[in-house]
Amino acid sequence: MSMPRTEVRRDLKSAATSHKGDRVFNRSITAAAFTALVVLAGIAIFLGLSAVEALRTQGLDFLFTTEWSVEQEDPKAGIWGMLYGSVLLSAIGLVIAIPASLLLSVFIVFLAPRRLAKVMTNVVDLMAAIPSVILGLWAFYLLNPPAEEWQFLLNKYLGWIPIFQNESGNFNGTPFIAGFVLAIMMIPIITSVSREVLGRTPPDLINAAEALGCSLWTMLRYVALPYGRGGIVGGIMLGLGRALGETIAIFFVLKLIFETNWYNIIESGGGSVATLIVATFGEVSGPYELNLLLAAGFFLFVGTLVVNVIANLIVQRTGRMQR
Amino acid sequence: MTQVLDRERIAEWSQQEPQRPWTRKPVHLQVWIALAALLPAVIVALMFTYTDLPGPVLMVVVYLPLQLVASGFAALATKGRQGIADSVIIVNAIGATLFSFIILFSVLGSLIFRGFEALWGDDGFRSSFLVQNNVYINPSTPLEYGGLGHAVIGTLIIVLIASVIAVPIGIATAIYITEVRGRAVPYVRFFVQAMSGVPSIVAGLFILTVLIVSGAIGQSAFAGGLAYAILMLPTVARTAEEVLRLIPEDLRTGALALGSTRARVVLRVVIPAAKTGIITAIILGVARVIGETAPLLLTSLKSDQTVLNPLSDPIAALPTYIFDNVALPYPGAVTRAWGAALVLMIIVLILFTIARILGRDRLNKSR
Repeated sequence: MSMPRTEVRRDLKSAATSHKGDRVFNRSITAAAFTALVVLAGIAIFLGLSAVEALRTQGLDFLFTTEWSVEQEDPKAGIWGMLYGSVLLSAIGLVIAIPASLLLSVFIVFLAPRRLAKVMTNVVDLMAAIPSVILGLWAFYLLNPPAEEWQFLLNKYLGWIPIFQNESGNFNGTPFIAGFVLAIMMIPIITSVSREVLGRTPPDLINAAEALGCSLWTMLRYVALPYGRGGIVGGIMLGLGRALGETIAIFFVLKLIFETNWYNIIESGGGSVATLIVATFGEVSGPYELNLLLAAGFFLFVGTLVVNVIANLIVQRTGRMQR
Repeated sequence: MTQVLDRERIAEWSQQEPQRPWTRKPVHLQVWIALAALLPAVIVALMFTYTDLPGPVLMVVVYLPLQLVASGFAALATKGRQGIADSVIIVNAIGATLFSFIILFSVLGSLIFRGFEALWGDDGFRSSFLVQNNVYINPSTPLEYGGLGHAVIGTLIIVLIASVIAVPIGIATAIYITEVRGRAVPYVRFFVQAMSGVPSIVAGLFILTVLIVSGAIGQSAFAGGLAYAILMLPTVARTAEEVLRLIPEDLRTGALALGSTRARVVLRVVIPAAKTGIITAIILGVARVIGETAPLLLTSLKSDQTVLNPLSDPIAALPTYIFDNVALPYPGAVTRAWGAALVLMIIVLILFTIARILGRDRLNKSR
């Protein structure tokens, strides 16, 4: 006697079950899973409304001029210098952080003995764990004084290069120091990603390259770096996303000015959107100025979101490729 | 058809000495290597004593190029032309390693050195600094009086509120991705990743505009906790997801075969099996947010008193305590800031160590 073939084949992985408790469970879990979307949408909508309001009253000048005189009768506000400053500081940070973290991960993966590699991995993780307020405190008291002297020497001997010009003679609170602090925050992020992708280079490829007579440099150049390129670029973008949104550490070391500091990286004064918000919030004059700050926050949010999404897509794609 | 090899080539090849990289290097090469290692160091040491250039500048401007050239010559002598590029990489990699070492130990060293001034006085360990609050304390009050007790309590309250909100939602998000496996999994993962990139100041602004400006709640521990929860959620969700992935599929199918419902499988089988991992996820989430300053500056402001009411009053927290004290131009206040920074760093380190130990146990078990 054969069983009647009425039973339904159920896919164990994704079956929507008929059990009532399960339905409740599934629905509540699904609802909770969309919290991230709700929060992101909420941020975009609420800050976006402020941005619309700011653009309506200030016009495109809000984005493309640099001014902050809100308490007069005809309030004027423009955050170009801050937007540009955020990018400039991050660029300085990247110039320092990219080579440092690539070399650091090459050291950890290919050069260091196993023990030392473990120690260095922990050192990098520890660096990532330092809260930004502590890094800012350290930078303000321990990095700033010697860095002023470095910048003085830089200006004295390389002052003929435009970016190292300094007319005020004041080397305090420069974009260079702020970028240096950002580099310290980016190095652990970039290093941990690139260490991982370099470490995943198939040993067979490395052995083959060495058997063909490759030196360390040629092996890196033709095997390891092309193999890990996507992951490394993704890691750099993740670091950039972190740097763009960094607030407190920069607040301590950068002198905020409402002018656009285009390229004088060792001239006192610069801008950063996130720092503008914290610095202005303390003495905010009223709802209108608060609204302007929220609008500035919106553009910061959009910028970091774009950078982060691209970074994650790149990291994900290379991760899938290598699996 | 036979190929005739060029006789001259054969003669040339037979002349070549095999390199034998595994043998000990002859003495004259060892001398080269020793010279390459010592000479730049000696020159820079001399320059450091006889000129007034600052140490770091000397290291970067003089020592690094000198060492590069010297190592290049040594590599040329021992390995031939190919060695030069290698030596450049090796010297720079060691340089980058030293750089990160120096930065880390400078930060930790200064924390310990300056933090002790607040925590240790002539009268020994100042437990008062850890428990007293900041009422009646002005920047010139001696360090024997007042402390960060109120800030520690404030941080605990805020982090607790954030955890109560973010941990269940974060774990539920992870369960959705690994257990429920609905159609929206790729989108949920995408949103969680996008959320992890939200700058902390933007999280603060969001809570400020939605809840505080609109008048729903005041600037309080609850507002700060909500802002922290936004930052904490993605960390908890991503770590918990990784942990749940490690649970063997057999456990789930086995439980289903025994007749349990899907909800029971998750609640009674999968989550208990992943217990340590989920605790790790919570700890990492707490460690992620506990040092964040910017959102608190907007949402919970500051206070000198010990505040226990999380719903109405502004409240102090460790990061904002540091921030406020640095801004005061008095050495006493700055010392207090260093003390608080040391306490905060120790808390963060303890959290990371616990997470690391739990994570190691998990790996050992799964092997």
